[in-house]
Amino acid sequence: MTAEIGQAAIFLSVLSCLWAIAFLSVGLRTRNPHAIQSGRNAVIATFILISISTGALIYGFVTDDFSMRYVVEVSSAAQPLFYKITALWGRMSGSLLFWLWILTVVGAIVVWQSHQRNKNTQDTLADHALIPIVIVQLFFTVLVTGLIEGIYNPLARLPDGQVAADGQGMNPLLQTPLMAIHPPTLYLGWISLTVPFAFAVGALTSGRVGSEWILRSRRWTLFSWIILTIGITLGGNWAYRELGWGGYWAWDPVENASFMPWLLGTAYLHSVMIQEKRNMLKLWNILLITLAFQFTLLGTFITRSGIIASVHAFAQSDIGPYFLGFIFVSTAGVIGLVIYRWKRLKSANQLESLLSRESAFILNNWLLVGLTLIILWGTLWPVISEAINGEKSSVPESFFNKVVIIPGILLLFLTGAGPIISWKKITANNFRRLFVFPLLVGLVGGALTWGFLALIGHAFPLYSVLCSFAAVFVLVAICAEFYRGAKLRAKRQETSLLNGLNLLIQRNKRRYGGYIIHIGIVILYIGIMGSKGYFLLESKSLTMGDSMEVGKFQLTMKDSFQEEYANYRRTTVVFDVAKDGKQIGSMEAARHFYYKVGQGEQDTIESAIRHFGVNDLYIALGNIPPDIKTGGVVNVQGYHNPLVGVVWIGIAVMVLGGIVAIAEKSDRSQDS
Amino acid sequence: MKRKNRFKIIAASVMLLGGMVFLVVAMTRSTSMRHFTPASLVLDGSSADNQRIQVDGLIAAGSSQWDAANFVLTFAIQDRETDATVNVIYKDQLKPDNFTDGGSVFVEGEYDASQNLVVATKLMTKCASKYDGAESAVPTDETSYNSSE
Repeated sequence: MTAEIGQAAIFLSVLSCLWAIAFLSVGLRTRNPHAIQSGRNAVIATFILISISTGALIYGFVTDDFSMRYVVEVSSAAQPLFYKITALWGRMSGSLLFWLWILTVVGAIVVWQSHQRNKNTQDTLADHALIPIVIVQLFFTVLVTGLIEGIYNPLARLPDGQVAADGQGMNPLLQTPLMAIHPPTLYLGWISLTVPFAFAVGALTSGRVGSEWILRSRRWTLFSWIILTIGITLGGNWAYRELGWGGYWAWDPVENASFMPWLLGTAYLHSVMIQEKRNMLKLWNILLITLAFQFTLLGTFITRSGIIASVHAFAQSDIGPYFLGFIFVSTAGVIGLVIYRWKRLKSANQLESLLSRESAFILNNWLLVGLTLIILWGTLWPVISEAINGEKSSVPESFFNKVVIIPGILLLFLTGAGPIISWKKITANNFRRLFVFPLLVGLVGGALTWGFLALIGHAFPLYSVLCSFAAVFVLVAICAEFYRGAKLRAKRQETSLLNGLNLLIQRNKRRYGGYIIHIGIVILYIGIMGSKGYFLLESKSLTMGDSMEVGKFQLTMKDSFQEEYANYRRTTVVFDVAKDGKQIGSMEAARHFYYKVGQGEQDTIESAIRHFGVNDLYIALGNIPPDIKTGGVVNVQGYHNPLVGVVWIGIAVMVLGGIVAIAEKSDRSQDS
Repeated sequence: MKRKNRFKIIAASVMLLGGMVFLVVAMTRSTSMRHFTPASLVLDGSSADNQRIQVDGLIAAGSSQWDAANFVLTFAIQDRETDATVNVIYKDQLKPDNFTDGGSVFVEGEYDASQNLVVATKLMTKCASKYDGAESAVPTDETSYNSSE
């Protein structure tokens, strides 16, 4: 019965979406507060209805209702309760419903925020912004009704009253806490980007194309950015620990799909500052946030439509055309509105010099958007190449690594140059005061890196030297900004430098939060440079008692044992670890053999990772033969991943900076 | 707005754009790998001799040999539609999970036309029946439902 109620709620929410669109549009046009209020209520109603549907599906999971098709496909009776619930987003139908549910939460929050803001008067901008949000909701609602060919209703039952004995269960690779929260984190980040996009559309429809829409949606954008940063990292961290190939990023289409909206969101966070400060780039900002929003849908299209032949996209579905259609129609709508408001979107100011903060921001935007397009090009190359010469081709991981490195280092340089270069036009004084010292220290940093790498036997590593130069320059430039500001505050308030620093950040969280993010970026780059550029991989077949070398480390296979768990058997292999001949402990790598999940059996790698400061020693095992204790051979891969810990630290600092920046409540920028 | 200034801005933009386009085109040309099936390799394999290519198909039943002591996996990829095959050798890497006869397989490597052999540097597998896109951040769809009953 609950499944039927859930289905009914989905159909009813089609009506509530249509109701909201109609009443908001008419109400805003005729300035009828009652109609507008009715439209807002319909947004809340959609939220309640979709919550009922989602609740009904979760109920199906919890009660093991194997008459429901979706429950059969992603759950099983033996699945732990936690993973029964996270099965909600285990496959496409449920993911779409879950996506829709978050979007209805977002819609309800926008209504609530505008209610809080203006209890008595109307808040037209937010009401205008609600319409595009509801249109996106409607799109997803229609997708999950089950009326669309190729996508079934997640609450549908099996045909002809069938009841399965048990479910097929969720892939054991996904049955880790990290993997359980990784997809919803990404969804949340993507979906939050709908709000700034909706405010941009609202600005166009209402004609209020000043900076208000940007400021009103600023915290949503930042929230999305923080959550996407976390979500992408969770994926990389999970891959690193679970997949056993020693890396965290491989430029896979799915990874790219999550990364591209992040890049565009980052570009947008920067370009809006130019509009606020200098009243420029009005049009660009609207187009940029539109692009960022469309890329969240495009990502779904790329990964789900089966147009890209990678391991992730093996499974095809019919969902592609709907997403592509929606992307085209909604983009056309925005372009139409832009043309309609053309006159109001003209910039009041123009660029005065190539060497100015405005130019730095614009260059940052070019590079970020350029990187996005390059990644899109690489991701879609199989489709593009087929269109060009009728032959399907792909580009490997190395294409991306090679092509992003120069724009990447330029961007790194800008994270330091942008904040210290003066507005309008650089002056000799500005250069002397703020640039010379960081540049010099940067040169020293680059030279030291060169020297160090030469010492451990690398020929001139151009990119590492450039990257270190830029990293040190940025670090010094940003820290000097903090120091100068803190000293000034401390002097004015007659307090300590540390208090001064605290005051400084408190007074302008947005700006200094941003600078903290920049420091995180520097740290991240150093980590990427070390772990991508200088990792070591040794492969060897070992029998009990054998040893292998990984850099300075010696691994000796010492023991093996088995343990039985609820739905898998774990076989552990113990290694003695020595560094430079000196015993320093042991590591346990393992394989999990899942044999109770559905009909499938699966054998997964459980890598052993040991941290030495920020460097990792990493062991992955091949299949473990039953006779391992009596001469059976195990394939062992040992990695030495330098500075990989720095990657996670850098991202943590970025998130921290984001949290500082989002704490700024004011709608108005205090940037000086 | 000074004309000279505008010229400088346009020139800088063109240079930046040109640089990026050049980089992308050059890198695409040097790294792009053609995509084959065993059947299309039979037809057009000679044109791919000594080139890096991608091949996708099924693991031919009974073809795989795993030399654990020397870390060498050899097997044949069977075309999904015809009975064409291509041999693969994959060295110094772990044998992937789910490497079973009849499973989907996707390799990247250098092709030797005279031996109809791919020296693979990358190999990905997918379980034949059950979990779609196992490694996917966003678990994939329901197309396998009918086939897995």
